[in-house]
Amino acid sequence: MITTSLKPLDEILDSVCPYHKVLIAGCDGCTQPPRGLREARTLSQLLELAGRLKDKDMEFKVTTVVKQCDSFLNASALKPQMDGVEAVLSLACGAGPQIIAELFPDIPVLPAQNTHFIGAEDREGGILEANCSACGDCLLALTGGICPVTRCAKGLLNGACGGARNGKCELDPEKDCAWELIFQRLERLGKLDRIKELRPPRDYQAKAWRLTP
Amino acid sequence: MSKVAPQKDRAQVEEVVDEASGKVCLAPCQIACPLGMDVQRSHARIALLPPDAKEANRQIIEIGDELYVKNPMFPICGYICGLCEKECNFKDQTGAIRRRMLLRFLADYYLPYLETKPALASPTKEKVAIVGGGPAGLMCAYTLSKRGYKVTILERDSRLGGALWYIPRYRLPSKVVDTTLNNLVRIASMEVRLGVSMGDGGKTLDDLKKEGYRAVFIATGTLIPRPLSIEGKLVAGADLEGVRFGLNLLFDVNQGKVSPQLFKGNKVIVVGGGNVAFDVARTARRLGGDVSLVCLENEDKSSKDGIPADVEEIEGGGEEGIKITYSRGVEEIIGEGGKFKKIKCPRCVSVFDEKGLFNPKFDYSDAIYLEGDVLLITIGQAPERAFYQQEGLLDEKGRLDLDQLTLMSNLKEGVFVGGDVRRVGFAAEAMRDGMNAAESIDRYLKGENLKSGREKGYEVAPIPKRGSYKPQPELIWAPVQERLNFEPFEKGYTLEQAVEEAKRCLYCGPCKSCKACVALELQSEIPEIEFDKDLCISCGNCAFYCPYGAVKLDSPGGVSVDVAFCKACGLCVAKCPALAIELEHWEKERISALVSQLVAEMKPPKILVFRCLWAVCPPQDGELAPNVGAIDLPCAARVDSLHILEAFQKGVDGVLVVACPEEDCHRGSGSREAQRLVAKLKERLDQIGFEERLHFCTVSRRNPEQLDEELRQFGQRIEAIGSKKEKK
Repeated sequence: MITTSLKPLDEILDSVCPYHKVLIAGCDGCTQPPRGLREARTLSQLLELAGRLKDKDMEFKVTTVVKQCDSFLNASALKPQMDGVEAVLSLACGAGPQIIAELFPDIPVLPAQNTHFIGAEDREGGILEANCSACGDCLLALTGGICPVTRCAKGLLNGACGGARNGKCELDPEKDCAWELIFQRLERLGKLDRIKELRPPRDYQAKAWRLTP
Repeated sequence: MSKVAPQKDRAQVEEVVDEASGKVCLAPCQIACPLGMDVQRSHARIALLPPDAKEANRQIIEIGDELYVKNPMFPICGYICGLCEKECNFKDQTGAIRRRMLLRFLADYYLPYLETKPALASPTKEKVAIVGGGPAGLMCAYTLSKRGYKVTILERDSRLGGALWYIPRYRLPSKVVDTTLNNLVRIASMEVRLGVSMGDGGKTLDDLKKEGYRAVFIATGTLIPRPLSIEGKLVAGADLEGVRFGLNLLFDVNQGKVSPQLFKGNKVIVVGGGNVAFDVARTARRLGGDVSLVCLENEDKSSKDGIPADVEEIEGGGEEGIKITYSRGVEEIIGEGGKFKKIKCPRCVSVFDEKGLFNPKFDYSDAIYLEGDVLLITIGQAPERAFYQQEGLLDEKGRLDLDQLTLMSNLKEGVFVGGDVRRVGFAAEAMRDGMNAAESIDRYLKGENLKSGREKGYEVAPIPKRGSYKPQPELIWAPVQERLNFEPFEKGYTLEQAVEEAKRCLYCGPCKSCKACVALELQSEIPEIEFDKDLCISCGNCAFYCPYGAVKLDSPGGVSVDVAFCKACGLCVAKCPALAIELEHWEKERISALVSQLVAEMKPPKILVFRCLWAVCPPQDGELAPNVGAIDLPCAARVDSLHILEAFQKGVDGVLVVACPEEDCHRGSGSREAQRLVAKLKERLDQIGFEERLHFCTVSRRNPEQLDEELRQFGQRIEAIGSKKEKK
């Protein structure tokens, strides 16, 4: 899923300040942690309180969309709510506000989130981790299910750089060396020979910007 | 999914049945207790005892009264049992909850009250005779009397108690037995006839029938000590002077027939490795003997041939100077001038065979001799069969021919048999036989089916998760030099210790099988969780955070909650990003309405408290200052950021979240999760200058002053910041 984090509240507040009636639109889709109704309502409460301190009287409506990246779903959910709305504050990833902007070209759309990466949440540890760079040329089958494009700091395709110390990356000692992990996983799978397969340089043209589903 | 059979009295426990398996869901301790006592409920109630001593005392009597309904001999169990502890889910963490000590704690408060406890209504129904006044017979008599039958106990001895009189007084004081049994006889209007023997010239079952008894329960116990044998043959020399059975010694000591220094200057050898052998050895030690114990089994309790006695007995005996010789049998008892001199002990190489049967094997080439003045044989006991033979209750192989479920004789209608005579076991197991026989007799006399609905399967709930596990408290024994007498040496719990220990309980069983909170009026019923499937986005938060494994993700797109396991803490509600879950009685709208109402009533600076109802004592409600309003939640886990923000929006100046200390949290993770939620919300409030107005604290129910102090400090802080800007 797409991982996001809430923008600083004063930045959001600045962006909504010019408007009196704002619709906060959550997204139940893949944003993690989920930014649905609860988050929309919480944000409305925080902004209302913050606005009060700045003598700003703002009215917030809250709603949520099953998936903001789907223009059909977005239109069905938002259209009935748009009466009198001066701006939409979106809790979706970067795709959501763009779809809304296209759907309602006369209404400003403001992002409440910074979008980071495709990854997963470790709920136990409360940490989000990047897993995929959407490179368009997946080689996980060869690398034991660990993506070197995303998880190797240098994005190397043909083995470790040699700079790792005790399994940690030389650029970020907090980070595991992806190629060491790949080696261990392949060894465990009994497929270590795969590491010998030479991978040609990445085909950057494969990074598509428009596809036919 | 599970269903529950509703009770008339809403505070009474309910049976929770798993619909798929048809089994009853219960805490493992309650399944382990032969009497199915409501262990969890009494632990919850002890954990919630108030700090006020008088009120605590009143509640302890109430807890005792509840236990008494099922088991009027619970004060005795508090001294000698503890079978439930063997199955406690805590045993693999830091050691089982000390249920026996908690029961003893209740007993110590309850016994003085027992003298004044009102009797049950006088029985009016048919007459039933009970042969044998031990734990089985007494339990049967009580259960029948409770159901209105007139019961008569025929006891061959001069007092009731049966095998309880084999238990040394340092473990089970006479006063506990006397008070419990005398009052039991009074309360249940039992007719007791002492010194009455059955068979062998005494009464017969026909005599009882003629006297008008419509059914008989026979529980004569096992009073014949088992003699020493090897390879199927009796060991010679058992008739030497100085050789006797340990069981008889125990009985004589409890009867006061033995001089206090009987074994002074004597070397005493006890044969046997069970708890009774240790009772005998430790009794002999208290009679001045230099005691050693020899047993077939080895030292490693976890092995198949390990010594069966409890660790506490082995350790306690060791402290008292009892030397143990493991893995030795007795081949020969050797005397000199008609007096016992020594035993020949070959090495025992195996006790149980591959089939698990008792079949000891010896290496006779490796034998040692143990010398002594007294030999006490304590290797088990057997029933006296002549009466059963005479009455035609045995099959052709000489075994009791009974239905093992109903305990009715297959050979004689209306005759029921149970207790040790059926199967040698613990006192509580004998009591269970008595209870089961009473159920059968009731059905028999009503002409009902004896068996229907009685064979129940049980299953345990998943083990609740905890953030931390407090260590098991050590048992406190008097030092050895003060212990070598017949006074009890184990120190009972104080009120404080009992509360602390009860708080360790994980409350593994379904809420509806406990309902302590309802009995205490903390909540009017166990609330239910409701899911709005239309709002659910299948994110899995509820299933992930549930401390009880009660929420299951069903595909496609939905969740289900099992009432057997849900403890209604509300954590899933607070964690649901889609606002799709509600907790009955604590619905979002209802809490919102309460916030509005309190805000209108409070004087500035307005402080709203969200508190866990387990963390505070109810009488405090009336004592809140006029600027303070409180909303009680089923657990701090139900604290919701929406309601905290809403309170600020409505004009509250400060919000205080009150949880139990993490290690006391009734729900395992409620306190910790509430603390996290507040910390996260404070981060956000910090960005808009509200951070100081929200505060989290933990208070213990037993220290109400803590909350007062927290409120005072927080109040000062809020006053210093000044009243919040009102909405224009």
